[in-house]
Amino acid sequence: MKKHIDLALAALAASGTVVSAIAATPAETVAARQANFKQLGRAMKAIGEELKKPAPDLGVIRTSAQSLNQAAGHVGHGFPRGSGPESGVKTEALAAIWQRPADFQGAARNLVVKARDLQTAAGSGDLNRIRTAFPAVGGACKGCHDNFRERH
Amino acid sequence: MGKVRLWDAPVRLFHWSVVALFGALWWSGENGRIDLHKTIGLVMLGLVVFRVLWGFLGGSTARFGSFVKGPGTVLAYLRASREGKAPTIVGHNPLGGWSVLVLLGLLALQVGLGLIAQDTDAVASGPLNHFVSYDTGDAAGEAHEVVFNILLLFVALHVAAVLLYLFVKRDNLIHPMLSGHKAFTQAVEQPTFAPAWRLILSVILAATFAGWIALGAPFSLEQAKQAWQAPPPSAEESYM
Repeated sequence: MKKHIDLALAALAASGTVVSAIAATPAETVAARQANFKQLGRAMKAIGEELKKPAPDLGVIRTSAQSLNQAAGHVGHGFPRGSGPESGVKTEALAAIWQRPADFQGAARNLVVKARDLQTAAGSGDLNRIRTAFPAVGGACKGCHDNFRERH
Repeated sequence: MGKVRLWDAPVRLFHWSVVALFGALWWSGENGRIDLHKTIGLVMLGLVVFRVLWGFLGGSTARFGSFVKGPGTVLAYLRASREGKAPTIVGHNPLGGWSVLVLLGLLALQVGLGLIAQDTDAVASGPLNHFVSYDTGDAAGEAHEVVFNILLLFVALHVAAVLLYLFVKRDNLIHPMLSGHKAFTQAVEQPTFAPAWRLILSVILAATFAGWIALGAPFSLEQAKQAWQAPPPSAEESYM
């Protein structure tokens, strides 16, 4: 009898794990995408600061550009239906994300392209290329925030 | 007896400039005009620094030493006012002096937070943001919003007090802040005013300081040049 209960509990626990892996709660989704934006922010800050120095550290720029590129790829998947303001979770995401999904995905893809350009520029080690690619990433961030993030 | 020159021109110009800049900062902050917000914020920094310098170098009614009093004096003044026996004061009264200090202190804190703050993705950041970590800059951004609400509260309190004087105590404080003059019913000591060279010195010091901060507080000419030429994180004009 006891063995049966143990087995049942184990099965329940296992199914629970699977379910939560597929459908995270809105709070988990919001926390994960905010952490991803912070990864983007840390990388942007690090690169911006290097570019203000008389002798920028290419190593820091390359590592940060890689981290930025990685995080940029997750942005488009960070907003599943049900994770907007209607979920009750504190979020600056605007309903427009789900009302105009094509525009939103386009803006997210633009970031992916610009972040990849920056990583390529960082890999080349050519500071002039980096100086051109960097503000383009900022422009991509802004392009999305203007329409899809709450102003504050 | 009669008319007295109460506030010098720098004090009045400072006061009304702060009113205008406060409104402009509020508007630009709410509407995502972050470049404009940063520029006006740096002018506000210059103004606050100027007022602090003027609190030591300015005329008698502008000096902190003349109007910052201890709690005992403030309480005694309040007690005397309630009994209608408050002395005639040429300048800020003991409670009003604290109102000046609190408002100026909050403005300084708010400007300071803005200097180190950054937005989530670090596209928008204050000129001193590179001195702090990402998390500190993030926290400063949040605090910038909280302190703004506290500032609004104290501004409302200040305006309410001025209106109370106008309508209940029948004492117009607004006119002297515009014209500089105030009429007293009894003979009072005339305030003294600072010579022009002190004004020029204070303005130059405040403007130089604000300009240095705007460049990210560089410690060498090379750093200043680099900061001047560095690309902005976003090529766009407005943000947030």
